[in-house]
Amino acid sequence: MIQLSYLDYSAVEGKSRLHRCSATVKLIGMALVLFGIVALRNIPGLLFLYAILLGLFFLSRIPLKIFSLTFYPLTFAVLFIFLSGFRVYFILLLFLKVLCGSTGVVLLLATTPYPLVFRILGKFLPSLFVTALFLTYRSVFILLKVLEETEHALHLRGGLQWRHPWRSLTNISNAFGHLLLKGIDNSEKMHQSMMLRGFKNRIHFRGE
Amino acid sequence: MSHIHLPDGVLPVWLWVSGLVVTILIGAFLFRSFKKERVPKRLPLLGMMAAVMVLGASVEIVPIAYHINLTVISGILLGPSLIFQATLVVNVILALFGHGGITVIGLNTLTLSIEGILGYFLFRIFWRIFKRLTPTVFLATFLALLVSTVSMIGVVSLGTSHYEELIHQEDPQGVFEFKLSKEKSDQPGKGSKKDEVNLKRFMAIILPLSFIGWILEGVITTFIVRYIHRLRPDLLRLDGEAT
Repeated sequence: MIQLSYLDYSAVEGKSRLHRCSATVKLIGMALVLFGIVALRNIPGLLFLYAILLGLFFLSRIPLKIFSLTFYPLTFAVLFIFLSGFRVYFILLLFLKVLCGSTGVVLLLATTPYPLVFRILGKFLPSLFVTALFLTYRSVFILLKVLEETEHALHLRGGLQWRHPWRSLTNISNAFGHLLLKGIDNSEKMHQSMMLRGFKNRIHFRGE
Repeated sequence: MSHIHLPDGVLPVWLWVSGLVVTILIGAFLFRSFKKERVPKRLPLLGMMAAVMVLGASVEIVPIAYHINLTVISGILLGPSLIFQATLVVNVILALFGHGGITVIGLNTLTLSIEGILGYFLFRIFWRIFKRLTPTVFLATFLALLVSTVSMIGVVSLGTSHYEELIHQEDPQGVFEFKLSKEKSDQPGKGSKKDEVNLKRFMAIILPLSFIGWILEGVITTFIVRYIHRLRPDLLRLDGEAT
């Protein structure tokens, strides 16, 4: 999750051509990638698509730390190879689809600030839903800080030790309990500040 | 584990489109049913709880490819209507981070919300029976996760014929193939065998790993609820009190 802040930083501070490209064009590009993933059923086609995405990724000079995010879904895709009787072709097809999808979305978010993505989504999705998406995205960063601080405090006080798994489990659970309570407290504060600023059931995004 | 960690393009089109349509219909109904005056209070709460679920999903137990969902505890705190909307938002955000496909957002929302909604109702029922937090929360979490994992396996099994087609794609049939119909047309390739898609083997891998996950999440959720009960018992509404 730490990479998320890099993702945000890259989207705002990046200066490549892809960063400067309109968010609408990039979303259309993502839709085309998605169509390719759904419709392509052969390895060369998917390899070609992956190569294009990789090329764009490195041309956009996105930090390499973010690249590791694209491999995360592979951990779970491994489970689905047991469906296939370990057919190499199916495994390659599955992994390439996973990599194309994850590389596509990570590329989109690493080159486009999220308010712009949500602004375009707001044109065809209900405004309440887009506002909920926006608030969730903001809340992830607020709570990530709380989680990091809690994790740090637990670590410094010896709360996480593999030699004491039960105690560690209790402390991890308490950390999540703390996170939930902080989340509820923050939501009340957010509600008050939104009312103060005249919130009318919709967040307006600035233009590109 | 109730999450369908499948990439885009592996499930048949009719299946993920159906999932999306059902989710959009339920989501639109629930978002429209928001009372306007309550929106400013409920939206931040929805956002924060969805964020907690996203962060929970980021803590992965690598050896068994499991991550905690915190859906049951969120369901207990938010209630059945708000938890559906929260899981929809969580799945969209997770898909934007490359965690799960975009086309399976609908199916993921349905399976994950089963977990939250069932968790909420089981928690209420077991509380009336046991009147003790530990067995109530553990059983509610364990059973909710069991049902949602079974529903996930059910969803995956619906695409069996499609996986067979994908497995036998070694026989070239052109670059693109796009089908909207549920029926399977020609058998692709002469050597294709129907038994190549092995759901039993898939379940034999998923269920024992999930079992460890259900126990782990049951224990973690129990500790979380006990922690919340110590600090903010009003949030659990155990005596039917409004928060």
